[in-house]
Amino acid sequence: MDDPPPYPGDDTVGGPDGGSTGSTPRWVKMSGIIAIVLVLLFVIVHLTGHGLGGHTPRGHTPSTSVTGHGAQ
Amino acid sequence: MTMRPRLRKFALTAHVTSSVGWLGAVAGFLALAVAGLTSQDAQMVRAAYLAMDLTTWFVIVPLSLASLLTGLVQSLGTTWGLFRHYWVLAKLLLTILATVALLLHTQPISYMASAAAETTLSSADLRGLRIQLVVDAGAALLVLLVATTLAVYKPPGMTPYGRKQHEQRMASQL
Repeated sequence: MDDPPPYPGDDTVGGPDGGSTGSTPRWVKMSGIIAIVLVLLFVIVHLTGHGLGGHTPRGHTPSTSVTGHGAQ
Repeated sequence: MTMRPRLRKFALTAHVTSSVGWLGAVAGFLALAVAGLTSQDAQMVRAAYLAMDLTTWFVIVPLSLASLLTGLVQSLGTTWGLFRHYWVLAKLLLTILATVALLLHTQPISYMASAAAETTLSSADLRGLRIQLVVDAGAALLVLLVATTLAVYKPPGMTPYGRKQHEQRMASQL
């Protein structure tokens, strides 16, 4: 797939020259569907409690941190 | 406002450097996360999680914020715009998603580093969290690869807003 042509006298990709001005391209529709499926999967996995055990275990917090940004 | 060519090249260099640097740093993070999960050597496990914490705070987080910021400058300072083309919009959303997810996951990374510094972790200790770090890093790498691919291929397609702007520009040139 070719890059959109740059403006005259411009040797960098500084912007498009019109590009496709038709309706929504197929790749956008497919990506949107994939994104919705992934978001739904993520929500279902978290709501059903089948995640990977949450972020940090509760009830125990290490007192030190290498960078000083440890769990509060 | 469109940037002049010299400034645009500088901004583009900053954006490419920070974005590709972020991708590389996440790849390194993934290698450390796998080492921390699978190694039988206690010293290796400890070193991996300590290095992951340092890498996160001093490399990955700064590069992610720099990538987001320079990306905004790059799109707003050129005729690509921020909301005119689907690929720019998709890349922006992916970068925001990756940055927010990263900032939310700094806590478990620091937690693992603190646990590794305090105790000798066996292979069963905090296993869910260690697997989560591998999965998160893999997902982040995938998202960043998609963003990089979008930036290189620039698949065509204008948003309704972009089409409207394009038509207005065409009308004003007549």
